[in-house]
Amino acid sequence: MLRNEGTKMGKIIVIHSYKGGTGKTLLSVNMAAAYAKMGKRVCLLDLDFRAPSLQSIFKLNGSKYWLNDYLNGSCEIGKVLVDYTPECECNGSMYVGLANPAIEALRDMSAKDRKWEMRALGRLLSLKNTVLNDMELDYLIYDTSPGLQYSSINAIVSADVVLVVSTIDRSDVEGTKRMVHELYDLFEKKTAILMNKVPIEFLSTQLERDSVYKRFENTHTLPVLKVIPCYCDVLRSGGSKIFVRDEPEHAFTKHVNDITLKIDNF
Amino acid sequence: MSKSFGKNPAVILEKIRESLDRLNEKMEIFIELQKQERKQDLIVHDLPEALDVMTLLSLPDHLRKTAVSICKLGHATAEEVAEQTKRARAVESGYLNQLVLMSYLKKERKGRKAYFYVEK
Repeated sequence: MLRNEGTKMGKIIVIHSYKGGTGKTLLSVNMAAAYAKMGKRVCLLDLDFRAPSLQSIFKLNGSKYWLNDYLNGSCEIGKVLVDYTPECECNGSMYVGLANPAIEALRDMSAKDRKWEMRALGRLLSLKNTVLNDMELDYLIYDTSPGLQYSSINAIVSADVVLVVSTIDRSDVEGTKRMVHELYDLFEKKTAILMNKVPIEFLSTQLERDSVYKRFENTHTLPVLKVIPCYCDVLRSGGSKIFVRDEPEHAFTKHVNDITLKIDNF
Repeated sequence: MSKSFGKNPAVILEKIRESLDRLNEKMEIFIELQKQERKQDLIVHDLPEALDVMTLLSLPDHLRKTAVSICKLGHATAEEVAEQTKRARAVESGYLNQLVLMSYLKKERKGRKAYFYVEK
């Protein structure tokens, strides 16, 4: 897949999970920041229209338009994206597109009919040309709603790579397993698992770490890209920090950097 | 002597190929219609609203692959879909016509090419 001669075509990475609270948003934000720091051109979109959250992290004032407007067909994607490069202290570029957090917008998005969802899929699919190719971006990252929401499945259909974030919670693991076979497999998507918030005592020796990887790879019959321990200070930060930017030496940052490198070779 | 004998044989062969292509497409539609009738005519009784992701999930694997390709391409010939799915053009043509019969896709002809698309 070549964009121009010698230039690789950008990738759409979807971060999804079966349950809420697995750390999708934290990982999406930090992965986008990590790519930007590596000198890549990246765009992060909030496709969680049920519970938008990126606006509380980025506090952007640069756009009058939301992703809702783009999917409604009332504006082009360029009007939605805000250039976050100056604030992300990076060598590359970082753009952000937010979902409208107003209650009225949440209500509006949950009342869309199937025709609208079909058109929304078309508009998401067209981002491959308008954002990845025309803006010459390297990565487009979608932060999605958990479970089988229309917006999330639309995102999955348009994805090049799907990262499923799961905790060790039994219902999460079982739900993720079902979702892998009843959703990702049906769309033949390149999928990997990210185990997040794993108690640190499960990972204290190399043997234990290997056994956790093996256990979840066997459960999901998919590669486990990373097992990330549960860090109290990450939880304590309450989503107010971009670790890759604010704490470059933190262990969580190192895990995120590893994930971004692994995706390139995935 | 018939007029066509004066023409370039390559032109005549091209005309024959075009006719065969059209005939082939009609045959595929005919075969699909027969299959559908055998399945108690699901087309007439259960018209879908839209080719959204839930519909995509409910399709059999072979048709889903074709439908997803058309969603990505927007407006495409069987040959273009076949390039994406890495299956034979004739196979894709059959699946696309089946999706047209199921009312998920529309078909229009431009010259000798048939284009398939999702009506928005």
